[in-house]
Amino acid sequence: MIGPSGVGVSPGDALLVGRLREGDGSAFDEAIAALYAPMLGVARGYVRSRSLAEEVVQEAWVAMLEGLDRFEGRSTLRTWGMRIVANIARDRAVREARSIPFSAFEADGDERSVEPERFHRVDEPYPDGWRSFPRDWRTLPEAQLLGRETLDVVAQAIAELPESQRVVVTLRDVHGYGSEEVCEVLDISPGNQRVLLHRARARIRNRLERHFDG
Amino acid sequence: MSGYTCREVVELVTEYLEGAMTPEERTALELHLHYCDGCATFVDQIRQTAALAGGLPEERISDETREALLAAFDELRRE
Repeated sequence: MIGPSGVGVSPGDALLVGRLREGDGSAFDEAIAALYAPMLGVARGYVRSRSLAEEVVQEAWVAMLEGLDRFEGRSTLRTWGMRIVANIARDRAVREARSIPFSAFEADGDERSVEPERFHRVDEPYPDGWRSFPRDWRTLPEAQLLGRETLDVVAQAIAELPESQRVVVTLRDVHGYGSEEVCEVLDISPGNQRVLLHRARARIRNRLERHFDG
Repeated sequence: MSGYTCREVVELVTEYLEGAMTPEERTALELHLHYCDGCATFVDQIRQTAALAGGLPEERISDETREALLAAFDELRRE
């Protein structure tokens, strides 16, 4: 199978696609294990409720299965599947109207990573330098740094992010996708992707800082 | 080459970690980090934040959703 762009399907993808088309049950389990959580993450970037996001994933899954014959390997099976989810979720978001407009993916405005009060004013000594340094988390006991409570803080902070930031940080940091793949799935520029990722990380960091500093 | 202030550095960390800076910008930023413990710690905190997000447990599929996806898959098999 060679796509029009001349890029072939990777051997691993070709095998999985073949097994899915044959209805191999273990291929179903493999695909769900690899794709379900990130698919849900993408869907939740566009529609607000978990139940609506699950509906989107179901619709996307059916579209993927029906489209397997047309899968040409111009991207990986994973990227292709994520793009299908993103497209369906976007349509759904427009129909629901209460969901975010797609323009919200444009990183705009002035969002500070750290509160301005943390820095000296320009009329003070050390203008725009730290008033007091952030705490070195490497000095925290490992049980505290990596404990359940800390992960709960991270999960809660991610849940409360604006959708566009949440979907980017979910794919990049939670699921470990590369920046190029995220840009391709979400149809955003590399620069925009970095801004959204940074804002997301900064917001989560702020929550962690409040948690650790009590 | 003018240096960055701490307030500027905290906005540039992901650009830096992603390798998206020009060599000149990168050098200026690294010079700042070399002399500024506060910003070096901030960069480390952003790294740790990303790592902690990577350690979250995967969202589990609900039984209903799994059933629905499996039903769609079985239907495809019958065609």
